[in-house]
Amino acid sequence: MMDLLKKRKNLDELTEKQFDSKIKRQKKIRNARQMVRICLATTAAGCFAVLFLMPIVLTITNSFMAASEISANYGQVFATSDTGGKMFISKTVNLKFIPDMVSFSQYITVLFKSPEYLFKFWNSVVLVVPIVAFQLLVAAGASFGFTRYRGRIKEIIFFVYIILMLMPYQVTLVPNYLVAQWLHTLDTNWAIWLPGIFSPFAVYLLTKYMRRIPVSVMEAAQIDGAGEWQIFRRICMPLCKGCMCSIAILLFIDYWNMVEQPLILLSDPEKHPLSVFLSKINSGEIGLAFAVATIYMVPPILVFLYGEDYLVEGISYQGGIKG
Amino acid sequence: MKKNKRIFAAAAALTGILLSVLSGCGGKEDTGETKKPEGLIYVPQYAQIDMDKDSYVYAAAAAGDNIFICAQKWDEAAGTSSNFLYKYKIAEDSSEKLALEMDENSNVSNMTIGPDGDIYMVVNKNSYNTDESGEITDASQTIELWDISPEDGSVKEATDVTEFIESDSDYVYVQNFCIDGQGNFYLYDGDKGLHVVSREFQKVCDIDFENWINAMAASKEGDVYIAAYGNNGMELRKVDLAAKAMGNPIEGAVEPYGNASFYTGIEKSFLVSVSDQVSRMDIASGEKEDLFKWLDMDVNGDSVRYAGELSDGRIWALVNDYSASGDSSNELVFAVQKDASEVVPKEEIVYGTMWVDYQIKRNIIDFNKKNEKYRITVKEYGNDDFETGLTQFHTDLTTANCPDIISLNNINYDQYVSLGVLEDIYPYMEKSGLNKSDFVENVMQAFEVDGKLYGVLPQFYIDTTMAKTSLVGEKTGWTLSEMLDFVESMDAENIFSYGTRSSIFYYCIYNNIDEFVNWETGECSFDGEDFIRVLEFAAKFQDDADYNYNNEEGISSRLRNDRILLFQNTITSVQEYQMMQGMFGEPLSFVGYPNSERQGNLIQPSGGSLGMSAKSDKKDGAWEFMQTLLSEDYQNALVSEHGSNGFPIRKSALEAQFEMDMTPDYYTDENGEQVESPKTHWGWDDFEMEIMAATQEEVDAIKTLIASASKLGTSGSMDTQLSKIITEESEPFFKGQKSAKDVAGVIQNRIQIYVNENR
Amino acid sequence: MHFPIRRKKKDSPAVYAAGQDIKAPKRKSRSAQRTRRGKLISAGYLFPSAAGVLLFFVLPFMIVIYYSVVDNPISKQFVFLDNFVSVFQNAAFQQAAKNTLTFSFVAVPLAVVLSLFLAMLLESKMPFKSQFRTFFLSPMMVPIASVVLIWQVLFHYNGMMNEVLALFHGEKIDWLNSNYAQVVIVVLFLWKNLGYNMILFMAALSSIPKDILEVAVLESATPFQIFFHIKLRYMSSTILFVTIMSLINSFKVFREIYLLKGEYPYDTMYMLQHFMNNTFGRLDYQKMSAAAIMMAIVMVILIGALFLTENYFGKDVEG
Repeated sequence: MMDLLKKRKNLDELTEKQFDSKIKRQKKIRNARQMVRICLATTAAGCFAVLFLMPIVLTITNSFMAASEISANYGQVFATSDTGGKMFISKTVNLKFIPDMVSFSQYITVLFKSPEYLFKFWNSVVLVVPIVAFQLLVAAGASFGFTRYRGRIKEIIFFVYIILMLMPYQVTLVPNYLVAQWLHTLDTNWAIWLPGIFSPFAVYLLTKYMRRIPVSVMEAAQIDGAGEWQIFRRICMPLCKGCMCSIAILLFIDYWNMVEQPLILLSDPEKHPLSVFLSKINSGEIGLAFAVATIYMVPPILVFLYGEDYLVEGISYQGGIKG
Repeated sequence: MKKNKRIFAAAAALTGILLSVLSGCGGKEDTGETKKPEGLIYVPQYAQIDMDKDSYVYAAAAAGDNIFICAQKWDEAAGTSSNFLYKYKIAEDSSEKLALEMDENSNVSNMTIGPDGDIYMVVNKNSYNTDESGEITDASQTIELWDISPEDGSVKEATDVTEFIESDSDYVYVQNFCIDGQGNFYLYDGDKGLHVVSREFQKVCDIDFENWINAMAASKEGDVYIAAYGNNGMELRKVDLAAKAMGNPIEGAVEPYGNASFYTGIEKSFLVSVSDQVSRMDIASGEKEDLFKWLDMDVNGDSVRYAGELSDGRIWALVNDYSASGDSSNELVFAVQKDASEVVPKEEIVYGTMWVDYQIKRNIIDFNKKNEKYRITVKEYGNDDFETGLTQFHTDLTTANCPDIISLNNINYDQYVSLGVLEDIYPYMEKSGLNKSDFVENVMQAFEVDGKLYGVLPQFYIDTTMAKTSLVGEKTGWTLSEMLDFVESMDAENIFSYGTRSSIFYYCIYNNIDEFVNWETGECSFDGEDFIRVLEFAAKFQDDADYNYNNEEGISSRLRNDRILLFQNTITSVQEYQMMQGMFGEPLSFVGYPNSERQGNLIQPSGGSLGMSAKSDKKDGAWEFMQTLLSEDYQNALVSEHGSNGFPIRKSALEAQFEMDMTPDYYTDENGEQVESPKTHWGWDDFEMEIMAATQEEVDAIKTLIASASKLGTSGSMDTQLSKIITEESEPFFKGQKSAKDVAGVIQNRIQIYVNENR
Repeated sequence: MHFPIRRKKKDSPAVYAAGQDIKAPKRKSRSAQRTRRGKLISAGYLFPSAAGVLLFFVLPFMIVIYYSVVDNPISKQFVFLDNFVSVFQNAAFQQAAKNTLTFSFVAVPLAVVLSLFLAMLLESKMPFKSQFRTFFLSPMMVPIASVVLIWQVLFHYNGMMNEVLALFHGEKIDWLNSNYAQVVIVVLFLWKNLGYNMILFMAALSSIPKDILEVAVLESATPFQIFFHIKLRYMSSTILFVTIMSLINSFKVFREIYLLKGEYPYDTMYMLQHFMNNTFGRLDYQKMSAAAIMMAIVMVILIGALFLTENYFGKDVEG
């Protein structure tokens, strides 16, 4: 009996061992498959990443080229560029990542020799920062209004906001211009600020987020005696912090790149932001374009790196048009 | 619920801010709309001075209750000149003529009033002997400083100051002269620098200053300032006697570009006149007080010779003007402050333009002086930045700010006609009895849109291209292929004197854009044979940047030797045609610009064409002014010796112009015979010739030329968009990257969009 | 196969931290008066924004409508639909409308599908996930002008793309001046917008309840089934949101085209915004107003349709 039992046990052990090894083998195969899959996915992502990163890298590396090198490489493209006198222009267009010789001449010109670029940079800041700050402020109030006590009228108003938000800029271009003319704000920063501050974009995103906060949370506070201000200030705002940050980043990037508004509403080129200037640089001062572009990228990159997590988190909760 | 109140308050505050912004802006608009003059305004007042006609004013200055004008009169018959000092007594509004005893070869170069109230003059004395052959020998020059009594004009003291002005040049002339509070004399010779001499005629110092001193004046405080061109345009500096140098530029004191005149002030440091604006300026505070515009005083700011402030607050100005016919006259004008209620208000008619044309300006001044009911005010858009001004001008045209009268010089005529901005003026012409048939019909017709005329154009000229008749035959137009056949058959060095790719484009395309674009049907033919041929033709020429403009051989000789074939020019007068014939050295034909109808000669307006705003509420007033440009008097006044501004549009005036061109000038030679003398000299590049009276044939040729023209030149009004696309896309062909056909295809594609959109 | 669809819980930890009671309140303590006051107050919060929108967007839009029915800004004669008819018959407008529609119908779905693909890619196990995420988002930061600069270099007649083609013995293509122009701008559009859309999808993917996926795996559903029946279903509202955002951004591509080729590009790149921009530049307000209103009407219809679609699909999953 003992023998038998022993034998049985051995058998059991054996099968167990066999079973184990079988599982291990299976796992190995699965692991190998997964490895292949991960490798494939990583390469795919890597390829995409290269494509996505190329323009930024190009802009930055090319900003360290001397003007002569730039015009030799891209002279073909920007035929109108006046490089002053005869210069070597290569027959084909060379997209070069690494400068033949690292030169800071572009930066020296931009930063020290011609202060106009820095003026324009400052114009950009002056135009963008108030819009972002005040649009968020106005939007915070409006979203709270849209969230609390929803009713038919508010829904209709909200739909109007959505329609207005979706209009291409060209549709609102004449209205903006007419209003600016009427308010006598043409050629002043107000012409850009005011429509920017009251733009429905942030209201839309924030309302959608705020409406996700369970009604019960606010109602509970109300029962505890909190006023609307307290609900707004102590409950809504802390909950929306991440979302507001992400919207701020989106707004900042959007307005930082504005071209049409200043072109139409500010006829004085002195007041134009750097984005307008950059968009015109292609024809004339191609030799400086890359350095100016690099400097121009610094604030968005900083904002982006600082707030990327907020952005991702904030974007995550947007979604669904109705909210 | 306190917190709720707070949010209410915040909302209310925000609304308040919003509303206040709105109302504030609205308020601004209101003040702009109803600009009723209030309080004191300046009005012009004219003074009586009995000056001899054709006197040349050397200087004018106010001292006490008098204004002194120093003038010279040239006696044509006797061949002598005499100098006078006019003393205008302000209180009595009468003038007295005091003689100034001076040699034949002396003249007054400057005059100013000293702190002691005396008149000080810088007098140039020249003396020379002539030898037998009439050559000038031992010329000598002295400069004297005269102290003159303001009572009777007698010379109290005359001092030779030549020694103080050491100059390298043979001839010294005191450009600017003034006296400071201490009585020191400041003499600027325009060469070596500024020389300062004390009242006791001791040299104080010489100040070397390399820049040209444009103006010099003593301030109310008794300091002397100069205005000179420096690194940042015009700069105002104080003359620093202690440092014996010019002080640093005073920032913001003067407009960087603009011809500023400075006069010693009474209320503030200076009275300043910059182009049209008169203001008072305080040096210490940098404060500027704008007083009025010369134009509002019916004075042409460019004609103000001297001006100044009087102790009663009036501003005086000595205005020297030339009439359209060329006569000069001097006038003393005061700008007097009056209460607005005392002034009979006139209806204001706004004339909007980028810059006032000088002829129009003169018309406006005449009109404002004579007309009891209306007054033209000028709104100039182009004073600051051209682009900004132009945009502002264009936007104003379509809004409520539209001026009553619109200058057509800088706007696209057809576009604004179709926008309904302009008013048809034929009905107005009819009402005023201006007959359409009194004007050159084909020119008027060229400006008509659907039988309506939207502007008055006092003058016109013809844009054309000339070639030797022996080469092209008698013709007034050719087609593009005829032109290209001709040019290609010749073995010439170039087609034009400055034949570059862009000039080929201009000649073949831009000035005849209708050849390639049919605006009726929207069809474009940039991919057609003609355009491709133009491209291939243009490829033989150099790019503008590579073109060497320094041709050692002159244009005329190249034309004569057939090294260049065509000469593009505008014909503004018979005399110009006479010169062209001379340049070619043989008969020439006006072949003009190529187009399929062989209508090569194009009409261009000139002399300030005006349109009337369709929504003006003072159309009658606007027309009253506009019709002066077409009036017989004005049109006849346009008839001039050289006619370089174009042909008058009135037939009778045009005939008078031809008549004048055909009338010979004579001089009497030593035998007492009348000999025809040249009317004038004309020249171009290497060529120069005497212009005699025109022959009947020459006048007939011009008449034929005018009659042959029925189209307007399009280059001026053409949207730059087209040329932009053509230049941009044709580049790869010229660089040998793409074929002409490919390039033409792309150009056709992009321009088609443009044309479709604009229809 | 059927899976139980559960409502998502969105309670934030911050709420608990604030020590608030999240249970539904009892009804009795709410008086009608209080509600009315609350409504008023909430309207007060809305007021500044509503006033601004009214002043800067709605009222001016009324002016646009007014401009679209008068003959010109000077005489202001009422012409009813004449402007609409003339704009509608304008060959350039037709071309622009066609191009805009084609572009949106090609680029927007592509943007949705590709960004979903990228999101799924990053969802799978792989190293450097967050780095990749940053890389994909990076085009958002590049100033448009330098993007255009690079694009010009890439797609120039003698540019890099044609050199690459030459390696494969392909014919040179004039990218920006031929029918390939649309391809260029679609690529540009995708490059700029995929990153943002991808983040939206990643968030949506991560919020699909894990237990449902596990149940599906247990019931031996194929990955294909899981994707179409669960993931897509759960993400329907995100898909619509991404579509809307892509649509908005597809209108912004005008800026790039404008900087690439100016007011009048090759006809396949000529968008409605070009038409409006150019007519505005010529002060042809009535034409531009008519075009703007037509575009707005199409937009309202489109959004309305999307709205209804979301209502239809999203109801059973969204709260």
